[in-house]
Amino acid sequence: MWFSGKSDESGSTPQNGEILRKEQGIPKKEENVQDILNTVDFEPEKLHPLAGLNKDIEYLDLDDEKLSTMEGSGNPILATRGWGDDLCYGAGTVYVLGLGFGGLRGFDEGLKSLPQPKVDPLTNKLRPVPFKLKLNTILNQVTKFGPHAGNTAGVLGIMYNIINSSFDHYRGKHDDWNSLASGFLSGALYKSTSGLKAMGISSILMTGVAASWCGLKRFVAHKQAASRFEN
Amino acid sequence: MSTPEADHSRDPCPIVILNDFGGAFAMGAIGGCIWHGIKGFRNSPYGERYSGAINAVKARAPVVGGNFGVWGGLFSFYDCGLRAVRKREDAWNAILAGFLVGGSLAIRGGKRHIFNSAVTCACVLGVFEGVGMMFSRYMAWANKPVAMPVPDEQQQTPLAA
Repeated sequence: MWFSGKSDESGSTPQNGEILRKEQGIPKKEENVQDILNTVDFEPEKLHPLAGLNKDIEYLDLDDEKLSTMEGSGNPILATRGWGDDLCYGAGTVYVLGLGFGGLRGFDEGLKSLPQPKVDPLTNKLRPVPFKLKLNTILNQVTKFGPHAGNTAGVLGIMYNIINSSFDHYRGKHDDWNSLASGFLSGALYKSTSGLKAMGISSILMTGVAASWCGLKRFVAHKQAASRFEN
Repeated sequence: MSTPEADHSRDPCPIVILNDFGGAFAMGAIGGCIWHGIKGFRNSPYGERYSGAINAVKARAPVVGGNFGVWGGLFSFYDCGLRAVRKREDAWNAILAGFLVGGSLAIRGGKRHIFNSAVTCACVLGVFEGVGMMFSRYMAWANKPVAMPVPDEQQQTPLAA
């Protein structure tokens, strides 16, 4: 029996294969595993036709993974899955950019305000400034300007994205007016404790930033469409 | 290489750093608004409580957000770097990334401070990872597959006797 590992040695009852060969008159020949395997069709769709294995790769279609289907919310630079992605990527990008540019500005300021060598009163020579002091001056300026610019930009990014996503949600679509209005409102909110003039200035600045972001998105989308047309 | 512990619900590596920067910054800034709003409100004299709260939020919430953001972003940065270098994803990535983050953030405080802060962060991340592993093991144990009852044994009494 096949499960006991012993072969049937009775001899009186021939194996099924023997019977088949005798009935069909096929001469017994040397067969190896490769021959047997070659005769078997291992196409998965034939082995299991109900499983639908003849399709292409199928990805898990989870609700969380779906891209945003809102009208006009297609972002040619980075696909988005909704307001959480918008908020995280928007704030993160703006924060890192602010940190970087603020750090560069701080580096510049630090180089400008390097400690000057002083005249030694005894020897009347210039005393060189130690390297650690110079480094510390520059690092102090970098850590003063970098995080400040980054925090400002990040907070503005959060405000902009939250207001923008709220507009998108209530209007049911996204267009440039949403961006401009949320830029205006976030600028006004950011300077809301500093008086009307500061509010106006920051609103106008943020509207300009939002407009340039919309323009960048349109420009990239245009480029992508053009390159797709050429190909 | 199969990485069964890989988290497929997150974005792929280089771009997820920005996501983590922003997510951690937003978490810190919004949490800092609540925290420092309440603190500023309670610490202000009567009559200036709302303005005190707003001033505290304005002054401190972005800083909290920045601290959170730098921590989360650096952690994600090191995590991605370790994944790329070690070519595997396991708990050691997070612990080593925590060690490096702790060291990096204390980089201006001298060797001793760097080392202490790095070890503290690594321990915190180790505890996080350990708790996560215990939780996932508990979930696996609680939802473990149950063997089907064997039908042909004479355990059930027939309905109509």
